[in-house]
Amino acid sequence: MQLFMKPDYQTHVFTSTYTADVSGVCSALYELGGMSVLHDPSGCNSTYSTHDEPRWFDTDSLMYVSGLDEITAVMGDDTVLIRDVVQAAADLEPRFITLCGASIPHIIAFDYRGVAHLIEEECGIPVLPVPTDGLKSYVSGVGLAFRAWLERFANPAEYKDAPDRTINLMGVTPLDFSINDNVAVLRRTFEDAGFTVNCCMAMGDSFETLTHAYRAGCNVVVSSAGRKAAKFMKRKSGMPFVEGLPVGPEQTEAVLQAVAETLADGKDRRVWGKFENTGRFTVPEDRILVIGEEIFAHSLADAINRLPEDSRFGRTACPFWPDEDEGMPEAELITAVRGAHTVIADPLYKIIARSGAPKAFLPFPHEAYSGRIFRSEIPVFCGKAFRIDELLQRS
Amino acid sequence: MKEFQKIKDITYEYNADIGLAYASPVRGVWNIVHIGTLLPESHQIFVCPTSCLRGVVLTTAEMGAMDKMSTITVGEDNILEGDMEEALQIGTERVIAELPERPRAMLIFTSCVHHFLAVNYQRVYKVLREKYPDIDFIDCYMNPIMRRKTPAVPSLWRQMHRLLQKTETTKKQVNLVGNCFPYGENSDLNVLLERQGVRVMDINTCKTYDEFLQMAASAANFTFHVTANTAGKDMQIRLGQEWIPMHAGYSYDRIDADLQKAADFLEIEAPAEDEISRLRAEVEASVEETRALLDGTPVSIDYTAVDCPLELASYLLDHGFQVESVFIDVFTESRETFEELQQKAPDLKIYQSLGWNIRRMERGYDGKIIAIGQKSAYFKDTDYFVNVVENEGMYGYRGILHLMELLRDAAVNAKPMRELVQIKGWGCSCS
Repeated sequence: MQLFMKPDYQTHVFTSTYTADVSGVCSALYELGGMSVLHDPSGCNSTYSTHDEPRWFDTDSLMYVSGLDEITAVMGDDTVLIRDVVQAAADLEPRFITLCGASIPHIIAFDYRGVAHLIEEECGIPVLPVPTDGLKSYVSGVGLAFRAWLERFANPAEYKDAPDRTINLMGVTPLDFSINDNVAVLRRTFEDAGFTVNCCMAMGDSFETLTHAYRAGCNVVVSSAGRKAAKFMKRKSGMPFVEGLPVGPEQTEAVLQAVAETLADGKDRRVWGKFENTGRFTVPEDRILVIGEEIFAHSLADAINRLPEDSRFGRTACPFWPDEDEGMPEAELITAVRGAHTVIADPLYKIIARSGAPKAFLPFPHEAYSGRIFRSEIPVFCGKAFRIDELLQRS
Repeated sequence: MKEFQKIKDITYEYNADIGLAYASPVRGVWNIVHIGTLLPESHQIFVCPTSCLRGVVLTTAEMGAMDKMSTITVGEDNILEGDMEEALQIGTERVIAELPERPRAMLIFTSCVHHFLAVNYQRVYKVLREKYPDIDFIDCYMNPIMRRKTPAVPSLWRQMHRLLQKTETTKKQVNLVGNCFPYGENSDLNVLLERQGVRVMDINTCKTYDEFLQMAASAANFTFHVTANTAGKDMQIRLGQEWIPMHAGYSYDRIDADLQKAADFLEIEAPAEDEISRLRAEVEASVEETRALLDGTPVSIDYTAVDCPLELASYLLDHGFQVESVFIDVFTESRETFEELQQKAPDLKIYQSLGWNIRRMERGYDGKIIAIGQKSAYFKDTDYFVNVVENEGMYGYRGILHLMELLRDAAVNAKPMRELVQIKGWGCSCS
């Protein structure tokens, strides 16, 4: 028997894959007037613009692939990229440039920081190096992008003058919140409770607004994609953070209360209790399984557990979420899904359900998993108005 | 730099695949997933990093064909430990074990990272072939880093047909190779072959894997697209089948010559003089009817719709149409065709659909414009367009007749461009 055997994260016989880190970078910075350059041969840009970017058709934000080819990679000739970026920047005059990349730059040890510096010297536009590798999920990419942006454009010294009851929403991209009313409701949820939303990073707020990200009392990390940036801001300024998503009335109250407490005592918090998960990818049978992004899955599972017992079939809910670096191990996933009483998950997971196992499958589309396929069916799940008991009644 | 240049200002060496590349929301052109799914009773495995997998997986999911595809993700560990071969073999064996039905063939796509790390995947396939003799394994490639030398689509057409094994051939049967759409009544070649009792095989119409394997017994392979040339050449060398490329253009003499060439090889009667005369007259009448209907309304053409956009532009200009622009990223037609068009319409606008400046182009046209192809329709922001990709089974006089029908329809009937152009792999019915 092999001890400490790692789950097989790699082979997926039936299931899909989450958005990659490179798309996460582009999504995170999409609305800020920059130009994202993805250092890669080809394909990643059309994947992003087709499946991971719902704003692509109606806006003219800038995202390009470098078109790395064999000879350029073999020779390590970075001057090609530098020349191409400088030429495009001269025509398009972006506010800033972001340089990220996929697996080939990673294996040839492409020097993101050095090349960013050279481009910046040549064209005079700030260049953010974001060393993605195409091997990880969007959670990593969004996190790295926000962190790089804050490091360059925001001033940690502003934290000491942060107004009272002011917060930031961290980790907000269409990959987790789509382009329905979720973000507006999220913002309103805090404003209605008497908080001021200093910035929503990064949907609906401008470059200038985000430069003052440190003018808040705490960060509310509503998706794990916002965690890296929140931790970075904590390190730079001491700003505390709360991890939790206001989903449904009970969870919303809990998040609002946690935020108020954190603003008062400066301590970091997570707004969910203990779950019955017995391991990273093991859950007891006959439970309500919530599959999705980490903070969403924990928050919704916690919200379910706050309901009266009869609203949740006398069962408790357990979260199940992908690893940021490795993704989801399919064998463990199948065991969990088929052993569950009810599964709440993206419809593409239904392929692993079998007749009667689980007893009920409640589709809950997630843009970072199924892309645009079920976009019109993504609910407005943020805020008090989302009725989790009604969701469960559909089973 | 503008998003377009006038044809008089560019050279034949023009190539948009230099510099930063843009991806428009236009998605009708087929990719390797759509093409791979044409093979009946087969299963695809993509072995790549997450960033590459995302696109192919969701393409498959949008087709509703997730049961035809599995993935093996390349991770950091594989790069550091150099165990790509083990991951490929173990992953493939798990896929075979867990699929509800045994596939007849498996298309295994490796990626750029395998190429760069010199992964010995041929050894893995050898092991798999020995272990699973009832499954045909074929190596396929999604390695765009090699696109200047071996682009993915031509490579896939070649690899899929490498499943065929050399056998005795007959001139009573031929193959059409490298098409995303079945050819039929809108192709002069098909009409000729059917009339002469020659069986026409095409992966598009094969219902079973065994039927596909029968393509090995054909005496000739006809190709219509440049992307099929690699397969045509390969099959000629490997299987001894004659490769007969058909030029999907608009020159009447060239059509006649190609059909004569086909007939000569198959030892059948070529179209008779009176049939050719009748078809030419029909085409001319149809083109004139279309020109009259358009009545000076400009036309924009793109390379995703037809194989020979420059030749089409030239043909339409010769027949009195107003051709406003051509969207094209690289010239695959002859230098003579390019230079002839340059002389004929020096102010014709040539747009790079990949160029970085086109992202900020003001989409639209001052007045009505009719597009031939999705990219032209998107960038000219018109609902009046011919919604075809990959020439959609059109060849010869009958192909031109059908194109004119589509153009007349496009001139009067608006289509929901925004919805249509974003559908991936337009017309793909393999799900």
